[in-house]
Amino acid sequence: MKRILPFLIILVVLGIAVGSAWYLTRVTPGTPSANPAPASQSTANNPQSRPAPIRGIPGAEPAQTLGAANAPVQLEEFGDYQCPPCAAFHPVLEKMHEEFGDKLRITFRNFPLTQSHPHAVAAASSAEAAGLQGKFWEMHDLIYEHQAEWKDKMDVGPIFEGYAKQIGLNIERWKKDVGSEQVAQRVFLDSRRGQTMGVRGTPTVFINGREVPFESLLAPDRLRAVIQSELAASGSR
Amino acid sequence: MKRYIAAAIVSLIGLADAIYLTVEHVTGQSVRCTIVAGCSEVLSSQYAVVSGVPLAAIGASAYFTVFSLATLAAFGYRVAGMLLTVVVLLMFLVSLWLVYLQAFVIHAFCQFCLLSAAVTTALTVLALSAHRGARLSQTPGSV
Repeated sequence: MKRILPFLIILVVLGIAVGSAWYLTRVTPGTPSANPAPASQSTANNPQSRPAPIRGIPGAEPAQTLGAANAPVQLEEFGDYQCPPCAAFHPVLEKMHEEFGDKLRITFRNFPLTQSHPHAVAAASSAEAAGLQGKFWEMHDLIYEHQAEWKDKMDVGPIFEGYAKQIGLNIERWKKDVGSEQVAQRVFLDSRRGQTMGVRGTPTVFINGREVPFESLLAPDRLRAVIQSELAASGSR
Repeated sequence: MKRYIAAAIVSLIGLADAIYLTVEHVTGQSVRCTIVAGCSEVLSSQYAVVSGVPLAAIGASAYFTVFSLATLAAFGYRVAGMLLTVVVLLMFLVSLWLVYLQAFVIHAFCQFCLLSAAVTTALTVLALSAHRGARLSQTPGSV
């Protein structure tokens, strides 16, 4: 018995290691096996097989949105302007907006990861301050599209001010708003909503309250399939 | 023998850490920006993959090898003890290289990678002292 005991111990540890890796792969948020919603039409058509939508506490109101309020597909993105995958996701989402129009409601929520991205809050505040002059999406687009130009700079203030001028904002008002309590509150509320919905990284996207697997975000075909299955489920394809 | 048992236990910490990092890599979580600073930069860098295989998975295999060798050595398999010393020294050198990459090339630290480096350092100390102890016990007249 003593001769086979070490081999038994090794086998048991191997079993536990492989088993725990398999289990963790299944339960990690955002992976298809952990969150099978809305991967296929048959799944989307069968509400019993889908996880319940995550509600979370309210974020900033009114939210920054695109598309009709009563759209059958409600997409909510938690993003960080300094995060490279968020910038990579930006054109994918724009494409979806062009394709689906008012059938897709897009909501952007701020989720600045301040520990790793020192300019994330400044970028979020710049976009929200532009929103107070009705130009949130114009600023949002510029900040994401030019991320490579500013993300490693020491002082991003003049760069964002340049964007504000480019989209024709009242600069004095925008500068005041960037540092205002109102804008800070909006960023904070969005972030807090994300925390209550289990967001731990960016970009994180929910469609009709269910988290979309991360690998579906950067491929337009896969995200399109998810949106189409939700449309089919709502009967408004 | 006690040192080999300790090495086996310590290697389990490294194994758990490497499994976690492998899962993060395989599920794409490491590409995402995360609340924990540094890890996404390190784990999405070109150094996180070797010939298409996640470095974390290679690390998990290495820790499992160390666990197996330490267990066998604790049960008196001398060759396993010698192999353990060689494997652990190699892992220590690789860890030094990885810490250098984090500090001077990627300019970001991932605490899970640093934990792995700490575990490997502890294993190196244990393996070397166990190896020395085994050699002393073989020397005639020594206690």
